[in-house]
Amino acid sequence: MNQRSLARISALFTVLFLVLAARFAWLQLVEAPQISANRSNPRRSFIARGRGRILAADGSVLAATEGSRRIYPLGPALAQVVGYASRRYGTAGLERAYDELLAAPTLSANPLQQIQYFLASFQRFAPQSGDDLITTIEPKIERRLADLLSRHARAAGIVLDPRSGAVLAIASTPSFDPNTMGTTFAGALHAKDSPLLDRALEGLYPPGSTFKMLTASAAIDSGRVGMHDIFQDPGYLMIGNARLHDNDYEATGAGNIVKAFALSSNVDFAQIVLRTGASTFYRYLRRFGVGGSLDFQLPTARAFVPPESHIWAGELAQMGFGQGALLVTPMQIATIAATIANGGVEERPFIVRAIARRGKILTRTPVGPLDSPVSAQTAAKVTKMMEAVVAWGTGTSAQLPGVTVAGKTGTATNPHGAPDSWFVCFAPAESPRVVVAIVVENAGYGAAVAAPIAREVLARSLTVITK
Amino acid sequence: MSVLTGSPWLVALAALLALGWALRRTRGSRRDWFFPFATIVLVLFGEVLLARLSPTLARKQLVWICIAFGIAIVLQPYLARFRRIATVKYTWIVLSLGLVAATAIFGERVNGAKLWIRIGTLHVEPVEIIKLLLVFFLAAYLAEMGDAIAKARWWSLRANAKYLGPLFLGWGASIGLLVVQRDLGMGALLLCTLLTTLYAATRRSDLALGAAAIFALVASWAALHFPYVHERIAVWLHPFADPYGAGYQAAQSYFSIAAGGLFGTGLGLGHPGFIPDVSTDYIVAAIAEEFGWLGILAILALYLALVRRAVSVAREQPDAFASLLAVGLAATLGFQVAIIVAGVAGLVPLTGITLPFVSYGGSSLVANVLLISLLQEIASRRPAAERA
Repeated sequence: MNQRSLARISALFTVLFLVLAARFAWLQLVEAPQISANRSNPRRSFIARGRGRILAADGSVLAATEGSRRIYPLGPALAQVVGYASRRYGTAGLERAYDELLAAPTLSANPLQQIQYFLASFQRFAPQSGDDLITTIEPKIERRLADLLSRHARAAGIVLDPRSGAVLAIASTPSFDPNTMGTTFAGALHAKDSPLLDRALEGLYPPGSTFKMLTASAAIDSGRVGMHDIFQDPGYLMIGNARLHDNDYEATGAGNIVKAFALSSNVDFAQIVLRTGASTFYRYLRRFGVGGSLDFQLPTARAFVPPESHIWAGELAQMGFGQGALLVTPMQIATIAATIANGGVEERPFIVRAIARRGKILTRTPVGPLDSPVSAQTAAKVTKMMEAVVAWGTGTSAQLPGVTVAGKTGTATNPHGAPDSWFVCFAPAESPRVVVAIVVENAGYGAAVAAPIAREVLARSLTVITK
Repeated sequence: MSVLTGSPWLVALAALLALGWALRRTRGSRRDWFFPFATIVLVLFGEVLLARLSPTLARKQLVWICIAFGIAIVLQPYLARFRRIATVKYTWIVLSLGLVAATAIFGERVNGAKLWIRIGTLHVEPVEIIKLLLVFFLAAYLAEMGDAIAKARWWSLRANAKYLGPLFLGWGASIGLLVVQRDLGMGALLLCTLLTTLYAATRRSDLALGAAAIFALVASWAALHFPYVHERIAVWLHPFADPYGAGYQAAQSYFSIAAGGLFGTGLGLGHPGFIPDVSTDYIVAAIAEEFGWLGILAILALYLALVRRAVSVAREQPDAFASLLAVGLAATLGFQVAIIVAGVAGLVPLTGITLPFVSYGGSSLVANVLLISLLQEIASRRPAAERA
């Protein structure tokens, strides 16, 4: 018989079977995670089985599996951040971001995880459940924050430790109960105020006067404006043909940057940012990471900053007091305040402190500074301005007995109705331990609505962390 | 496995018959160990898998294992004189066409296809036997005409029609009838076997490619004109478009495969039961889920070793008929594995054929055990000892 044709047939089958093996490798090793994540995969009903826990800073449970159900003891208070792991609706929040670690190793579709699990099975105690996340959330602060915000229709708040970047609490209203996803998800998905949206991380707002923290930092740090330069505020300012005015047309008169900051004069800050100049101002925007993507463990929205090439004096003046086209997240305002509080050094914010397996820490989140946008001297000067806001300026409603509070109000006009009420603060001003940023949508003056909430949260935070 | 312990006598009988089949040999023959070894490993693996997937089917399959090895033992003296097959070559094609016709007339319609004939309580799939009979005819015909076909110029219509006519007529009729009966998988298998054997006999790749091109044309025509073909192709291209309707089976199979990963979940720990017909058409997906990619690799390697061993048996034969018979059987086995595995993996549209020895299915098991028996006889017989 013809040997060559038979040899070719033999080779044909070898190639054919290699192709088949390669196709299975592609399906099982490369595409497997995407295929498994499909909604119609019935295996997702085992999502809760053996899934790791999400724990608070004090060791209490934020998410855990009981029987075949996933339970969330804080319920709506931390819903958007912890998220959910539902067999019908997939995952969200930390449950999504850390899905591969939380998932039981037997359920993982990730080949690297499988190899790890396989090797671990030779040890005496093979892990049967997923890893635990240890977060930086303080439940006592979290409950208070969520409770105060939930009295309003739409609001968000965030509490940071400026020295480490740890997120101590984070809340967004309206919220949903992850414990009853089965019956409430469809409603939550289509609800008018988007309860599934984490407003603290993904809500974009005009920051209003809270942004003067950055404008003042840029002006002082660059040396374009001195602490004793005097600005005139007759209540309005003409830039070309455009007329720009203070809130309610009040005029703060003559004064330096501290007075302009404490009384929140838009007219003065327009002059300050114009004197700083667009290129210097944009340089500081970039240093503070405004408009960049934040290196955080959960998805955050990127701030909207009008492109520098299209900026004109009127737009720049508006940005100087946090209006115009500028849109930022509450997280962004909190990190700017934390940078001031931390002597000009921005620590990388984080919410997952460590990953643990059977009570032992596997890995810790590396902490450290992201950048140092301004000098310690500048930070100290801006801190003084923020102390003045609470001592005798627009933010007196945030005063706490026995503690020096530094803060900034914001009353951000927006096209959706009444102004958004903002307040951002930290305390003790001499050696800040806690930063609080609050926004209440369409609620009016910062001093009237957001500042009292921030004061309560600040008071609770200081008792919790200094205990 | 409760099903195996539940009927110990049947298990003992199956083991005894398998052992008897493996050890029995006729006088003056060499013993080839690899064929029975690989076959028994695959049958055992299939039975364990079936016991895990469906105890009812596993119990039925156990009966079929006994029947298959029993038939192979009884027929062995006849298989040993396999060269006689060549002397009555047209019998096989007439028998094949008769069986196809009988299926068309007396068959029972299952899932839109008329493939089974009921004999008492047993359901027989005649096409599994037909695939062997057609290889007999093919090998015998080509052993005789192969050289003439090889010499015919490709443009010579007369020479080609004269030598290839009966071959293509017989095989074409069989394949056409299968397509009409909606047994696309078996149709494709027969076509691949025909082309491979034709190439082996004549080394004329123009014939193989030309026939493949004609088939591709016919297949695309069928895809446009038969709604059920059209639907299968749509499911093949977009398995997740309708995951709860037409694409349900394909989507569930993909989930199963993806769940397996590298090592698999382990036997009994996956959920291949979500796939309809997992014990027959989709048993590859169950292997992928519970034994992982390494399991798939191992089973593909075993089949490939069987096929390559069969082709090397063909290379050892001094006469054209024995050689072509071996290569035809090798192609039948190899392509049956390739078509179903490629179908489950989504490389080609899925067609309902079995994974030899592993899938549930009595006729398939009987036919494939006979196929291996015959290969073993071809391998073990010295031509000198043969008196046809």
